[in-house]
Parts: sequence; C-alpha cells; structure tokens
Amino acid sequence: MSKPETSPTGWLEARLPIVSAFRREYVDFAMPRNLNYLWNFGAFATIALALLIVSGIFLALNYTPSVAEAFNSIETIDRHVSSGWLVRAIHMGGVSMLFAALYVHMARSLYYGSYKTPRELLWLTGLGLFILVMIAAFAGYILPWGQMSYWGATVVINAMNAVPVIGPALASWLLGGEGLGSVALHRFYVLHFVTAFSIIGVIVLHVAALHVVGSNNPTGVEPETSDDVVPFHPYYTTKDGLGLCLFLMVYAVLIFFAPDLLTLANNYAMANPLVTPGDITPEWYFAPFYGILRAVPFKLGGLLLSAGSVAVLFAVPWLDRSPVKSARFRPVLRWALLGLFIAFIALGVAGMHKPTGLWLGISRLSVAYYYAYFLLLLPFLPRFEKTRPVPASLRGENR
Amino acid sequence: MTQDADSPPSSPSCPLPERGARRRDVLSTVVVGAGCLGACALAYPFLDSLNGTANTSLGEDDSIDVDISSLRAGQQLVVTWRGWPVFIQKRTPEMLASLRASDLGQRLRDPDSKILQQPKDATNWHRSVVPEIGVLIGICTHLGCVPSYATPSTNDKSGKYSCPCHGSQFDVAGRVYKEAPAPYNLPVPPVTMMSATHVRIGQSKGDPGFSIASIQQI
Amino acid sequence: MKRVLLIGLMALPLTAQASTPEQRGFQVYRQVCATCHSLDHVTFADLSGIGLAVADIKAYAASHQVPDGVDDDGDPKTRPARLSDSIGSPYPSEAMARLANHGDTPPDFSRLAMTEEGGAGRIETILRSYEPKPAGVVLSAGSYYNTAFAQKHIGMPPPLHDGQVTYADGTKATLPQMAQDVGAFLDWVAHPHRSARSHTGLAVLGYLAGLTVLLALLKHRVWKRVKENRQ
Repeated sequence: MSKPETSPTGWLEARLPIVSAFRREYVDFAMPRNLNYLWNFGAFATIALALLIVSGIFLALNYTPSVAEAFNSIETIDRHVSSGWLVRAIHMGGVSMLFAALYVHMARSLYYGSYKTPRELLWLTGLGLFILVMIAAFAGYILPWGQMSYWGATVVINAMNAVPVIGPALASWLLGGEGLGSVALHRFYVLHFVTAFSIIGVIVLHVAALHVVGSNNPTGVEPETSDDVVPFHPYYTTKDGLGLCLFLMVYAVLIFFAPDLLTLANNYAMANPLVTPGDITPEWYFAPFYGILRAVPFKLGGLLLSAGSVAVLFAVPWLDRSPVKSARFRPVLRWALLGLFIAFIALGVAGMHKPTGLWLGISRLSVAYYYAYFLLLLPFLPRFEKTRPVPASLRGENR
Repeated sequence: MTQDADSPPSSPSCPLPERGARRRDVLSTVVVGAGCLGACALAYPFLDSLNGTANTSLGEDDSIDVDISSLRAGQQLVVTWRGWPVFIQKRTPEMLASLRASDLGQRLRDPDSKILQQPKDATNWHRSVVPEIGVLIGICTHLGCVPSYATPSTNDKSGKYSCPCHGSQFDVAGRVYKEAPAPYNLPVPPVTMMSATHVRIGQSKGDPGFSIASIQQI
Repeated sequence: MKRVLLIGLMALPLTAQASTPEQRGFQVYRQVCATCHSLDHVTFADLSGIGLAVADIKAYAASHQVPDGVDDDGDPKTRPARLSDSIGSPYPSEAMARLANHGDTPPDFSRLAMTEEGGAGRIETILRSYEPKPAGVVLSAGSYYNTAFAQKHIGMPPPLHDGQVTYADGTKATLPQMAQDVGAFLDWVAHPHRSARSHTGLAVLGYLAGLTVLLALLKHRVWKRVKENRQ
C-alpha cells in the first residue's frame, strides 16, 4: 500500500481502487498523438446517448402506454407539462444526433481500418451497439402512437412474419397474441427502455475492449515509443470538449430552430388503424435499410438483403485481407470506399421516394455496389492494389 | 496532485512532462466552471418537468356543490374535494351543547382555534359557518390517516373523531385533545352555505381571500 | 344537446381587444370554425398563450358544457367547462360529426398546421381558393370547387365571407384577412411553445459559442506543447 489509509482517498483505494482506475483509464491513458477530429464521434455518440437516457426517464414519468392514452399523454407533455416540450425535443433530436454520430463513427472505422487486428472485438461490440440502438429507436418510435408509429410498426411486424420459422413466433410474442394494440404498445415500451439500458452495458464492453488495445490512428501504425502518445488528459479532454461544443451547437440548432426538419409530420396525427397515410417513409436513419427493402421486388429477398446489409458488417474484419490498415495508403480502396458511402446515402434518399423509375434503378445499383464492396472488393482488392509506403512510425505521416 | 512514480501498467509510459507540476490556471478554471454551469442549466428542464402540468394551469375554481337535504341530524356525509375526504356533519342540539361544555376547553390543545387551520368565518366556537353544519377535512394532522366518526349514541351524545392509526382524538368540531399525538385541529375547508340544504366547498363567502394552501398543516 | 350552445357563443360579447393575428384568428375560430372543427388537445387555459385575459377565457370556457359523470338516476350529466378542460369538439360523437358533414369528419385543429403539408400558409391558401364552379364541372354532393387542390374540390363548404365577423380592434374582416388570421392562430395552436423555443435556443447557442471559444483557446494552448515537441 503506497497510500496511507488516513486520507479518505487512501481508505477508498485500499478497498475499491476506482480513483486510480479512473486515473489510469481516463487521465493518464496513452492515446496516439495524431488523432483527427473524426475520433471525436464516439464521444459525441456517448453524450447523445446519455441525454437520450436522461430525457427518456423524465418523459417516461409523464407517458401512458395504452392505445387510448399514449397519443394524449405525448400531446400533454408537448403542450402542458412544464418544460415538457424541451425534454421531448432533447429526446427526439437526440435520436438523430446519435445516429449521425454513429454513422460517422462507423465510416471512420471503415476508412482507417479500425476493425482490423487487434480490434476485431471493438468492431463487433460496436455493431452490437448499433443493432441495439436500432431496436431501441424502432420501439421508441411506436410509443407516441401517431400514424407513422402505427403503420411503421405494422410494416415491420409483417416483415418479421415473413421470416421463416422464427418470424411468426417472434411477431406473435411482441403482439401478445392480438393485433397491434395496447398489449403490443406496452411491450414496445418495455422493450424500448430495456434495450436502452442494455446499450449502457454494451458500451462498457466496447470501451473496455478499446482500453485493452488502445485507439487506432489515421496512419494505422501502432504507437511504439512514448513520443507517439500523449495522455488522454488534458490533450483529448480538450480536443473532445471542443468537438463536443460544436456537436452540441448542431444539436441545439436542430431542436430549437428546426424541430420539424427531420420528423415526419404525419406522426402528429393519432394512429388510425383504418387509414394508412399516403406514403410511409421511415425516419432518415432507417432510410438506407428501407431503400434496400424496397429495391427488391420480392418480400423475403428484400428482407434478407436488408438484414444482410448489417450482418455482412460483422464479417468485415475477416473479409478485408489487406495488411495495410489505413485507407490513406490504399489509393484504390479510398475511391471504392467513397463509392460505398455514396451508395449508402443514395439508398437513404431512394428509401424516402417511391420505388419506381430512376429511384428504383439507383437503389438497385447501390445495393449491388454495397454488397460488392464487402464481398468482392474487400477480399480481392488487396491482390491487385498497389499500396503506398506505410511510414515506420505514426509520427512520420503527420502532415 | 502528486502522482506515483511508477506509471500505470497499461499505458506505455506517458511522455510529455508536467504531470504533477501542472498549474490550475485561469483559463481551465473558467472552462470547467462554465461547463458545470451548463450542466446545471441542462438539469433545469428535466427537474422542471417533474412539476407536471401544475405550472401551466391558470389556477381555477375547483369548488364542489353538495346537496345535504338527505343528511339527518347526527349523521355525517363524506365527499371528496381535491382528493381529500371531507366530512359534512349535521349537528344535533346535544352535539352543539357538548362543544360549549365548560370543562372541554382545558382538555383541548387549541380550544379557540388560534392556529390557522380554518378560514376566518369558521374561527369560532363551532368551527363552521353555521353552528348546525360542520365541515372538516378528514385527515389526521398526526400522520395523515382518516379519523373515524363515532356517531352520537345514548352513552355519548356529543359525537367525536378518533384516528385509527395512533389514537388521536378530536371533538366533533375537529379540535384535537391534549393527550393525543396529533398536533393541530382538523382543517376546515372554505365553505359557503348556498341554502339550508346546499353547501359549496372550496369557496368562502365570509373569508374570500382564504387559501387552503396557507393553513398550518393538512 | 351537449354543445349546441355555439349559437349562444356567437352572441357572446367580446371583451378582449383583439389585436394580434393569433387573437383575431381565435375570434374567427370561435365564431366560425368551431361550429364543426375540434381542438382536442388545446385546453382553455392554453389560450392565455396568445394573450387573452383570464376572465375572458373563463367566460368562454363556462359557455361550454362538458360531460360530468352521471346523475343520481344514472343519466349522463354535464357541467360548465373549466380552464383545464380541452376545448374539444362541437359534436358529441364522431358519428354525429360524420352525419353532419356528408360522412366525413372535419379534421381536428390541434396539429393541423403541422400535419397539413405547407402548414399555416397552405390552410390560408385553401380558405382563399374557393371559386364559383366553372360550367361543365360536375361535383358530387358535399363537394365544393376549390382551386387549391389538384382535384379541384374539397368537402368543406366555403366557410368565410367578407364581414363575417367584427374585429374588436377595427381591422377590416375581409376574407383574405380572416384567412390569414386563422392561419396565424392555427400555427400557434400547432406550435404553442415556438417563442420560448427560439428564446431558449438563442441562449443555449450563445452559451455554447462562448464555451467553444474558451475551449478552442485551451485546446490550442495544451496542444502547443506537442506541436513544439514535434521533430
């Protein structure tokens, strides 16, 4: 025991060394010195999630999960509960900000090869988080019981039913043996915050995995000497803090000055099981997957390709055969990856439009490219690609 | 701020100097302070939402009208006002006489209703607007149980209340007896007699400025 | 028999000096639109948000009857509305609303300026786009010619005409004026906290901008050490 037990910290350290653990992991933790601002987005996602969970708890205190009262209780929160409109705006805007941060975070991993050895588990836990966030977002979107809530849920449950063997059972468990009504709404309510809290658990795993292997960096060259690294504090606390301020400014503009920009107005009309709204479009963050679904002319195929587009990400650490991590030194992959991002965004835009004519063509082309990138380019490109020389240390590349 | 010489095992030795020697300067203090301020401001809407819809309503008349034509002398009727049980009694001459008994005063904690537990027009010997009709909020001032009413019988014509939880005793005007744990008399709500058989609870004609929120304890 | 007091309501003297577009729009709502359209999620108390005096709101509320459980015989009874009640529907049931309107329910106004694509401006356009039916156009019963729609008709009879209401502030109640005022009122109804939202937003952005500058300075100073140290 180096610390005397007389001080309160010493007493605590002897029994539960959280102070030294915190210091080790968040103060002195060695970070590559050359991280760019794209490395901020994990912190952004964490903050967005924290705000979602806190605002969600306070919303839950005023929300009633029943078909008769759900829509009314949301209207009451929005109109009559003190600061209720703000709490709900933080929650609704938070979803978009979380997904935006996650998409950038994942794109960065793909670009700099952050999924490669030894960070495979970091990538896999991250994907697990992404799926949990999608489930929580879907379940949460049903809760206001607006038109989009109802018909979105209807479409997804019918899609589930189309999955052979397990689909009908899963759907019937969700619905409680009835149609889409109060029983199902209550289940989605519980599912919503059960997934929300499991996300916290998986984040702990994700961060633990990160702290075992350390952060990747733009060069993809692992830090070797003490000159390659800086302590987390004050270097990355200030850098993350600065980025966070800008992120929160975007968040604030969204919820205070453009609250209706990303929401679908139809959801401010109460669910009506007798009238389907003119055009059902998902929230923007689900649009690419919806685009895949709509690009395929038969039911099961669309579902499989849509689900497969996430599933294939799990295989990425093993699909990519190149020994070079960062796309900085892979001239061909850079362009291929740019194509992937464009295809993904195109799918999102196509997902918001009726699947006819040009949009159908664009979405089919994009789906094809999406799969080609992962199944053909990642494994086979390294055979033909001439990579640029990788520097000996991560500092060699600093421009 | 002193740091042990041995560096943490997982980090490949933190390079740059000034660990331990770093000063708390003005700029970082201001940043940390401003950050904490922002976090506190962020907490405001969340905590404010716990007030529910109370702050957004305009304060309105929540009085109720009760028809007491079917109430017989010696009986009490229980109605709900603001979620509280309200006792309305029709007092017999014997009950009124018991309230004026000469030995009663010294056995009560607050025989003259000096503590604000009733509107001005009920600050009198019978604690009501008219002697024959008594109105009380039926919540014991000890720990909030509902006292039970002992109907006047041949043995005891006065009628009284006793709390089932800890045995507090009140006379029929809701005044607490000294040997009981309850500290104050039962509260009297604002009452207006609209007619002999019609009571309005929630509005006091004799004390229009009275607010039930201003009483000592409910 | 629930809310047939609409007639009585129109006769109600307006004590408030209508002066903002929202207040004038509310006057048109209560005297014209409220005959058919509900405000299910807006309470009487909410009306203080457009600057109406509490006494006027109380009088307006008291002129409405709302269900109040059952009487001693078990028959439904009513009481005058309180401030915390929603303004609600002029019809006792959806069936009655359909019956009175050729089988369609007049849409609720609570979020109409949001759910209607184009918002308040669109509502104003619809109100101003009634025209006499051109010769040769055949409309089914309960349809009215309106150029705001691609199919050129709407189920609502022309609701507004010049001079239909008398504005207390002396504004001339022309049809375009009333349409604009109704739009302003419905816009407020759909976004009741808009002004608080933008005030809070400015404060939050101001704070974040300040913090950004401070953090940029701090970050620059901290990282200077690394940059100087570079080989």
